[in-house]
Amino acid sequence: MRNVIKTAAGLALAIAFGMPAVAQDTLTIGIMVPTTGSEATYGQDMANAVNLAIDEINKAGGVLGKQLTSTIGDDGCDAQLAVNAASKLAASGVVGVVGGYCSGATIPTLKIYGDAKIPLIIPAANSTKLIPENPGNAFMINSTGNDQVAKAIEYFNGKGIKSIAIINQGDAYSQDLADLTKKNWEAAGNKVTNFEVTNKGEQDYSAVVTAITSANPDAVFWTAYYADGGLLIRQLRERGYQGLIAVGDGSNSPELFKIAGPAAEGVIAFSNPTAEFLPQAKAFADAYQAKYNAAPGPYSTLSYDAMKLLAWALTTAGTTDSAKVIETLQGANFTDTISGPISFTPEKTLARSNFVVLEGKGGAWTLAQ
Amino acid sequence: MSIFDIFTNQLLNGIVLGSFYALVALGYTMVFGVVKLLNFAHGELYMVGGFAGFLVLSFLAPYIGPGWLGVAVSMLLAMVAVGFLGVVIERVAYAPMLSAPRLSILITALAVSLVLQNGMLTLTKGQYVPFGAALGFGGVRLGNLFISYNQMILVGVAAALMLGLELFVSRTQYGRAMRAVAVDKDMARLMGINVNAVIAITFFLGSALAAAAGTMAGAYYGSLWYFMGFLIGLKAFTAAVIGGIGSIPGAMLGGLILGLLESFGTQLPGVGSEWKDVFSFSVLILVLVLKPTGLLGKPEQERM
Repeated sequence: MRNVIKTAAGLALAIAFGMPAVAQDTLTIGIMVPTTGSEATYGQDMANAVNLAIDEINKAGGVLGKQLTSTIGDDGCDAQLAVNAASKLAASGVVGVVGGYCSGATIPTLKIYGDAKIPLIIPAANSTKLIPENPGNAFMINSTGNDQVAKAIEYFNGKGIKSIAIINQGDAYSQDLADLTKKNWEAAGNKVTNFEVTNKGEQDYSAVVTAITSANPDAVFWTAYYADGGLLIRQLRERGYQGLIAVGDGSNSPELFKIAGPAAEGVIAFSNPTAEFLPQAKAFADAYQAKYNAAPGPYSTLSYDAMKLLAWALTTAGTTDSAKVIETLQGANFTDTISGPISFTPEKTLARSNFVVLEGKGGAWTLAQ
Repeated sequence: MSIFDIFTNQLLNGIVLGSFYALVALGYTMVFGVVKLLNFAHGELYMVGGFAGFLVLSFLAPYIGPGWLGVAVSMLLAMVAVGFLGVVIERVAYAPMLSAPRLSILITALAVSLVLQNGMLTLTKGQYVPFGAALGFGGVRLGNLFISYNQMILVGVAAALMLGLELFVSRTQYGRAMRAVAVDKDMARLMGINVNAVIAITFFLGSALAAAAGTMAGAYYGSLWYFMGFLIGLKAFTAAVIGGIGSIPGAMLGGLILGLLESFGTQLPGVGSEWKDVFSFSVLILVLVLKPTGLLGKPEQERM
């Protein structure tokens, strides 16, 4: 009798926690994105795109003869939450993880996935600070800060810009981008008039704006996220700054126009290719719209490609053994994507630059080049 | 721009920023003076005030326009609404705790702050909300210094509110009752002062001032966010401590000093925006070392 109760209790527990009780006929994919906090909308876009890819893969017969399911770990764009999310995913027996939006939150999770030997594909986070922390199982399919800086400097040179002001927020992503820009810009013999740091959540940028307008550089480069960037752009223009304003890929959001208003007109953004600017992404965007009744977000295409890549690696390796899967990924030359072909450098970053230049026109981003 | 122009510009920036800090700091200092509570939910009342002003303005804009008249009316209504919210918070969350150890009520205040912040996160889904005021860009140019009408009105309104509060506290019967409760709650009760009513008035006024600052910030900076009260709450608390917590003129002075320190710190060679917070908080530590009660605070007397 006792055993019966025990078994029943065990079964109930297994059902309650959704653990596969007997034979494992599905493979679980972990999704690590922020679904709460200030970056929650992006995280949800990314999770949606991964799940859309999983649906399509399952319809086509799944992976290794098994269907895929997914489980989300919320990193809240916060290092501590991210560590919890990663530990949770690692403990739940996932065969691979797609995720990583905020660089600062992604860095501390690399070791956890590394220790658990779980292949990780990072669709968005692209600080170069991730590279030395990578234990060898993480692959970045977004171009890194290095590529973004190269694109930015190429653009500034093309516009005849000689002096710039750089502003960041002191977090892993924006500081990395700012430092790299400063280093390469000055190495090319150009001038950085201001190198400013602001607090996240600050509303008043007047002091920084005065410091910039008094130095009057040809361009201002904001390397942090859209939320505070919108306020800064507005205050720069209100105080009569006339030069070019450029922002990094963290500010590539339609929300920027809501915050900055008409001041965002003519603002330049360096960004990874988003669905709306890729003709080959039309089918994806339609399927996304049909399933979620919303347009794909800025990192949806890359998240979709990341999932496709992971499924391809599992199929090609013919096993879920992580060493084999990682080896397959390292040698990947994967072209079944919407954002362009994926292959990796020895550092496990994308082997090409995917950055495009966007311009704010009429309250929306348009492709500038 | 010459050094002098940069100086005058940063002076103006500091005064505008300091006005916001001072308005929010007043609420901290009044509540602390009367009930000895560090109301950490105060920054959140600034945020709620901004959203309340936004709501009123979106209803009224079709009738009176989104200009300064609309903002002024929204500000007044937001002040009343958030003032009552402050009283409700005091009655529900703080009043039952007033005789409990100070630490318990401090933690309650943090809890209230989280409730307000996350409540607004849920309501707005974490999105930025454009305030929708249209205040124009006009102003007066003095050499290389441009003072917008918005800045003048903003500083003027802040000064008027602070002056009004100072007069209320120093000249009216309620103000006298408030000061009496601050000195000795039990003795004030024996003298026939309705202590609960005085505490309610204190919370009402403090919250209303935060709401005024929140609405003006929304109109001036152009957008609202559920998290906007956090940093200013911290800064205003710092301002209140610099000026001497519990002292009303101290909060005004502290706010102004902190605003100026941040503006000039950004421009100082060797400090810059990277170190400006280190700079202004070092001043805070220095003030506390040299004068632990703050610039205008009075030492608390132990009564035997």
